[in-house]
Amino acid sequence: MVIETTIILRLTAAFTTMYLVALGHSIFEKSGILNLAIDGVFFLSTGVTTAVVVPLTWLLTARGLSLVLSTTLAALTAGLATAIIGIFMAWTLTKLPISHGAVGLSLMFLGYGLGIIAGYEVRLRVGSIRPYTYPDSLGIYLAILAITVLIGLLTYFFIFKTALGTAIRACGENPHVALALGASVLKTRLIAGLLGFFIMGVGASFFVLLWQKYWDIKTYLLGYGWLAFTIALAAGRHPIVLIPLAFMFGGLVEFSITLQARLGLQADLAKMLPFIAALILMIIYGSTKLRRIFEPPGSLGKVFYKEERTI
Amino acid sequence: MRFIVLRRKTIPRYHTWISTAISLILGILVYLFITILVGRSPLEVLVNIARSFISPSIVKDFFVLIAMGCALLISFKAALWNIGGEGQFYIATIPGILLTLFIFNPRHNPAPAPLVILLVALTGTIMGAFWAFIAALFRAYLKIDEVPVTLILNYVAYYILNYLIFGPFKGRYVYGYLRTDEIPEIYRLNVRVHLPMRGDPLQVALQNLTVQLAYYIALLVLAVLIYVFTWWFFKHCRIGLYTKIHGSNPSYLQAVGVSVNHIILLTMTISGALIGLTGSIYLLSELGRIPYEIERQTAGYGYLAILVSWLSLLDLKMIPFSAYIVSALRNAGIALQVAGLGGVEQSLLLIGAILLTYSITRFLVEYEVRFEW
Repeated sequence: MVIETTIILRLTAAFTTMYLVALGHSIFEKSGILNLAIDGVFFLSTGVTTAVVVPLTWLLTARGLSLVLSTTLAALTAGLATAIIGIFMAWTLTKLPISHGAVGLSLMFLGYGLGIIAGYEVRLRVGSIRPYTYPDSLGIYLAILAITVLIGLLTYFFIFKTALGTAIRACGENPHVALALGASVLKTRLIAGLLGFFIMGVGASFFVLLWQKYWDIKTYLLGYGWLAFTIALAAGRHPIVLIPLAFMFGGLVEFSITLQARLGLQADLAKMLPFIAALILMIIYGSTKLRRIFEPPGSLGKVFYKEERTI
Repeated sequence: MRFIVLRRKTIPRYHTWISTAISLILGILVYLFITILVGRSPLEVLVNIARSFISPSIVKDFFVLIAMGCALLISFKAALWNIGGEGQFYIATIPGILLTLFIFNPRHNPAPAPLVILLVALTGTIMGAFWAFIAALFRAYLKIDEVPVTLILNYVAYYILNYLIFGPFKGRYVYGYLRTDEIPEIYRLNVRVHLPMRGDPLQVALQNLTVQLAYYIALLVLAVLIYVFTWWFFKHCRIGLYTKIHGSNPSYLQAVGVSVNHIILLTMTISGALIGLTGSIYLLSELGRIPYEIERQTAGYGYLAILVSWLSLLDLKMIPFSAYIVSALRNAGIALQVAGLGGVEQSLLLIGAILLTYSITRFLVEYEVRFEW
């Protein structure tokens, strides 16, 4: 029974992290901006979470407030910090005729560096981050799971059933046409950047607060942001289709160690499994009808330039 | 006040250089701003950065980055963003370890050193080419962006290498460390010169430079060879021409009956092959053995070479210049760590800040900004 509960907790945490990061990334890319900053943003969020959650917990618990409140506030703060990067990317890549890939990759490096600066001192001071994370309570985990799925459903409704969601998709397909039809490409992308990166940041903070309950500067070497990138790619950036894929990948990452023990695999081969699975998923996506069904936005990663641009 | 972005009709002569210089200065300023925010002395940081530009210790990085910058230039010119240099570099060291420590280990199966070195270079080239070829297949036939694929392959390469070092490649003479054995001296490509290191600072610096140049002579030869090959490839080779056309107008290639898919496969494979060759020569010149958890100890040449290639604005003439800048900055990052001014984040921030300012100011080469009041 205890083992079953542990499995549920860990699977829920892995799913929540992967799903929210892939979901936020999908909202942003739906607006036509290629997001190669994802892995750096993932790590930056974990660093900011570590930096914020410890003092916040000290402050709030001294006033008799619960740990759940401080962890939740830390997650939201991490979301806000990453949202700044989303807004910066949206503005720069819409206003100036510059490469999405180059800006994304440079922000990836900056995200790694800033994440270390943010989290290192605090981590060094407290040693273990575990006492400052969500308690191992089934009720809390299931509540977070329910909220996560609800966010997914709301995002689906937002993207496919509202005028703003339609504008986001239109900007992704063809920003020039979207502009001609009266949508403000800049405003739309700024909203997508704010919302997408906020969700991404909150999701990545769960890596520290809910899933691993651990942070160290070498977290930036894990490459989990790229796994979320693959999940979003293969699910066609669709909020509902993302659910089973995030569940599968979260499970694969989480239980690679169990698999390692069961199959007698060496640790590095087990660590490699999610990446191999990501490549296999890409092959399935690219060689079947999935590719046509979940085609990427028509203008994804393309420079948006109007002659005589005024900024 | 309004800003208007306009496409230039002609690109002024020295704009490429000016743009690169502006991006570098701005990048360093952004980096300094961050270091000030975290309470470091900007002067101390600047002194360390400046010192690294005249340090002879950048020689090794300079040669490696010229070679890898040229290799990436080949794929970047075709608008194929090979971000997998790291994976191609390290996967290429596997046959080198296998050949020098197992198959032709001088203890039990000696072989002529030149033959083994040649084999190491050849098999390393093939491994690097194969690793890039996988990503090329994804791009050509599945239409999947090469950026995530090459990045994911970097992790796969790290873990394969780790698996081998933990298992079959684990050294026996390693004093308890988890790493491979040392590659036998007869297969190493270094020339050791002993100089007195006396005289005024300039003389000492020159002697130090001579020692470094001799020690890394193989990397110097490699950098020159790859540079000349890249020049020939773009200047005299038909595939080089197709590569450039693929970067600007792939449908034109199709119109003249050239298979776009074949060009993608060829370009990526050549790029990976050159990186693989660099990896295998680096193994024999510098690494000597490979530690476990290579991802935590990598010099990051695969990523630094992206910076070299981009800073050159994809201009071969500028590759040595940008390789010099990047190797100086990498050494500045290390010097800052040694001086106790930070850890690995210094290099990451410096690279990130310069790449970002470069990426943003790059458009000023082809566009101009006009101010209207």
